Amino acid sequence: MALRTGGDVGVTRRSALAGLVGGLAATSGCLGRIRALVGRDQPTAVSLSIKTLPVDQDPYAIALARQLSAWFGAAGIRASIQPITAEELFRQTFINHEFDVFVGQFPGPFADPDAFYSLLHSTYSVESGVQNPFGYTNLLMDDLLEQQRRQTGSQRTETVTRIQRRLVQVCPFLVLGFPNVIRAARTDRFTGWNGVFDPSLVSLLGLRNTEGSAGRLRATTPDDRPMANLNPLMSSHRGSWNITDLLYDSLAYRYRGTLYPWAATNWEWVGEEPLELEVTLRDTLTWHDGQRLTASDAAFTYRLLQDTSLGSLSETVPTFRFRGRSSLVESVTAVDDATARVQFTDCSRQTARRMLTVPLLPEHVWTDRTDKATVSGVDVGVTTTDALVDGNIPPVGSGPLEFRLVSQGQTLVLERFDDHFLETTEETGLPSPLADGLAFDEFELRFVSSDSSSVDLIVNDEADVTALGVGPNLTSTIGRATDVSLNIDRSEAFYFAGFNTRRPPLTNPRFRNTLARLVDRNALAESVFDGYVDPAVSPLAGTPWLPSDLEWSPSNPVVEFLGTDGTVDSERAREAFRAAGYRYNEQNRLLLS
Amino acid sequence: MGVAAVLLEVVAVLSLMLTVSLSVVVGRDRLRIAASDLPDQLRMAVKPIGLLLGVLVINSVVRDAGVNLSWVIGTNITEFIYSLEGTVVATIQSLVPGWLTLYFGYVYVYGYAFLLVFPLLAAVLAAERRHLRHMAFAYVINYTVGMCCYLLFIAYGPRNYMPALVEPLLFDTLPRFQLLTSEVNASTNVFPSLHTSLSVTVALLAIRDHGTFPLWTPVAVFLAASIVLSTMVLGIHWATDVIAGTLLAAFSVWAVSSDRVASLVGRFRSLYGRWR
Repeated sequence: MALRTGGDVGVTRRSALAGLVGGLAATSGCLGRIRALVGRDQPTAVSLSIKTLPVDQDPYAIALARQLSAWFGAAGIRASIQPITAEELFRQTFINHEFDVFVGQFPGPFADPDAFYSLLHSTYSVESGVQNPFGYTNLLMDDLLEQQRRQTGSQRTETVTRIQRRLVQVCPFLVLGFPNVIRAARTDRFTGWNGVFDPSLVSLLGLRNTEGSAGRLRATTPDDRPMANLNPLMSSHRGSWNITDLLYDSLAYRYRGTLYPWAATNWEWVGEEPLELEVTLRDTLTWHDGQRLTASDAAFTYRLLQDTSLGSLSETVPTFRFRGRSSLVESVTAVDDATARVQFTDCSRQTARRMLTVPLLPEHVWTDRTDKATVSGVDVGVTTTDALVDGNIPPVGSGPLEFRLVSQGQTLVLERFDDHFLETTEETGLPSPLADGLAFDEFELRFVSSDSSSVDLIVNDEADVTALGVGPNLTSTIGRATDVSLNIDRSEAFYFAGFNTRRPPLTNPRFRNTLARLVDRNALAESVFDGYVDPAVSPLAGTPWLPSDLEWSPSNPVVEFLGTDGTVDSERAREAFRAAGYRYNEQNRLLLS
Repeated sequence: MGVAAVLLEVVAVLSLMLTVSLSVVVGRDRLRIAASDLPDQLRMAVKPIGLLLGVLVINSVVRDAGVNLSWVIGTNITEFIYSLEGTVVATIQSLVPGWLTLYFGYVYVYGYAFLLVFPLLAAVLAAERRHLRHMAFAYVINYTVGMCCYLLFIAYGPRNYMPALVEPLLFDTLPRFQLLTSEVNASTNVFPSLHTSLSVTVALLAIRDHGTFPLWTPVAVFLAASIVLSTMVLGIHWATDVIAGTLLAAFSVWAVSSDRVASLVGRFRSLYGRWR
C-alpha cells in the first residue's frame, strides 16, 4: 500500500494534512478507489505498420502485405502499409529498427543452417544491420545456435531440427514461401537459362551462346541500386541477386549445393584444437588493376570483415553482411604469397568452411577506407567507416567480369576479365558448366522500372533476359513471343514477414504465435503468387535439414489457420488472442494491455 | 524499342498533330499575318518561353537529386491517401470498358504533350501578347509548386499500392511508354498530379480567352477531361492527386488573371528596380 497515514509518528505537517484530507473525504476507501481507477493507463488499441516494397520493385511484396493486413484486421488488429524503396526499407528496418512488421524476400540463399546464427543470436539483437533484425533474444535459442556450430552428423541434424521447431513456435519471423521466379529470356543468342541466376550469379557461367561469336548479354532489372553502388560489403545495396558475385572472387563457391575451390586450389585441415585450415591459392590470380592477388590480400579481407576500421577506432566496426561468417574466424595469417592459414573459433569443420565463400578484397584499395565515415568532412556522430559507405565505383575485384561503365544511373556495363584464371588456366578442377568460362564478352544490366516494360524489351530483342522475376500476369505474353523462353526457377530466397520483437505487443511470443495462425499460406499461394510459389514454414524447406513434420502441404499446414479458405474467422481469432491473455474493446479492437 | 525510338515516335506524332491543328484552329489568315511579322512575334516570345525553359531545366535537375532528398526530408503519405479515398481508383477502373484503355493510354502520352505545346505555339501567333505571358507563368507556377510537393511528400500511385485491385494499364497496354515516363518521373512523385494540373490550367485559360481561338476551347476541355480521367483509369494517380492537381490549376490561373496579383508583382518589380 502506497498510502500511509502518519498516525503514530507524532504530529508532522504531513500527517496533519493527511488528517485533513481524510476528514474531507470521509473515508479513505473512496480515495483509494478513485486512485485505483484513475491511476491506470487507458488501454490503447494495437495498430501495426507493415513496411514493404512497391510493385515496381517486387511483384509480390505489397500484395502479401495487403493480405496480411486484411487478416490481422479481421482479428481486430489495425495494420497499415507503407511502401518504400529497397534502400530505404533496409535503412529503416535493419539499421534503425523503425518498424513493426516488414515483408520481403530474404537477401540471398539460406545455404547452411549456420545462417540462423547471425539471424537469431541475441548478441546481435542490439547491433544495427541484417544480423538479428528482429531483436529476438532467447538464451535457449542461443545455446542451440552455438551447439550446431560445434556439432556434426546426426547430432547437428537434431539441433537444427529443434531450432526450426522452436522457430515455428515463437515466430520472430514467418517464412511464407519460396517463389518460383518467372523470367523471360531470348533463346536466339544464348541457351541454358534454367537455374543460371539462383542462388548465385556465378551460375551465369553455365550459359551457352548459340552463335559462334560471343557478344553482349543484356539483362534488365527493376533494381537501380547496382548502378549507384557496387560495394560488396554494403547489404543495403545488395539484394537476393547480387552483381558483385561476378566482380569479386571468393576462395570457394557453392554451386548447386557443393562447395568448389575457386580462387583457392585446395585446402587442408592442419589443426584440431583450435581448428586450423591451410588454404593454397591459385598462382595466377590478378586484380582488375593488374596487381597480383596474394595470400596477404586474403588475410587482409578477413581482418577487414571483422573490423572495417582495422583497430583505428575505439570500437570495432564489423560488416553487417558477413557478420555471421566472419565470426567463425579467429585469425588469418599469410604464410607465403600463395598460402594462408586460418584459425577458427569453436566450431565444426562443416560450419567453418562457410567462411571460404566471402569475397576477396584488394588490400591496396581497401586499406584507405578504414577511416571514420563523414559527410563532406563533417562528423555526423555515426560510428561507421568509409569501407561501409563507399559506393566503390569503379570496383577493383578479381572476378570473371570487370567494371566498364555506368551510364546515367540507368545502365551498368561489365566486361570479360581476360586475365581471370577461368580464361588462362586449362585445368581448373571445376565442374564443366563453370570451367568453360563466359559465353559473353560483355554484360549489360539495364534499369527498367516495371516488369511489363522489361518483357516488352525482351520480346522486341532489345534485351536478352529479365534478371529478376516478373509478375505471374506476364507469363502468357512471354509464352506467346517467338524466340523467347519462359523460365521458372525455384528461388532459394524465401518471402517472409519479420516482426520487431523489441516493440510490444510483438515482444510477446504468444502474440506472435497467434498472429502466425492468421496466415493461410495456401490462400497466399493462390491469390498473391498465382501458384508460382512453394509455401513453406522453415527457411530450410527444400533441403535435407527440414524435419518431415515441418514439411508444408495443403493437408499439413503445420500451423493451424484460424479460419477457412483464406478467410479469418473473427470470432475464433478473438478467442485465440483472449486465450493468449489479450482483451478487446467494444469495437472489437485488440487492446495493447 | 529504345528510349530514343519512343521519343522519336512521340515527336513525329506530335509534329503532325500540331501542324494540322494550327492550320485549323489558328486559321490561314491569322497564320499569314503572324508569318509576316514573325521576327517581332518571336522576339516577344523569348522572355516568357526562356523563363519556362529555365524552370523546366531546374525542375529536371531537382527531380534527379530530389528522389534521394525527398526520402530524407519528405513524409510518406501513401497510406494516408489510401485511408482518405480507399478503392475509388479501382472503382473508376472497373467502370471504364476495356476497349477504351488504349484511347486513354494514347491520350495520357500524346494528348497531354499536344495539350501543353499547342497553346504555347498558338499564343506566340496570337495578336494579343498577354496570352503567351499568362500561359508561361501558369506553367511555371504549376511546375514549381509540383516540384516542392514532390520533395515534401512521398507517395506511390495506386498501381504500386494495390496491385490486386488496380491494374497498371498504361504499362500493360503500351509498355514502351514506361521507358519514357520513368525517365521523366520517379514512381514516388504522384502527389499532386501534374498531368491533371497542367491540363486543367490549359482548359481554364482556353475558357477564359474563348474569343481568341473559339475552336480551341472545346478541344482543350475535352482533352483535359480525358487526361484527368486517364491518370486514374491507368492506375497512375489517386483521386486525391487529381483533386490537388485541379486546385493547383485553379490557383495558377487565378494568379495570372488577378489584377491584385499583377499589381503586387508590379510593385515588387518597381521596388526591385529602385533597389538595383
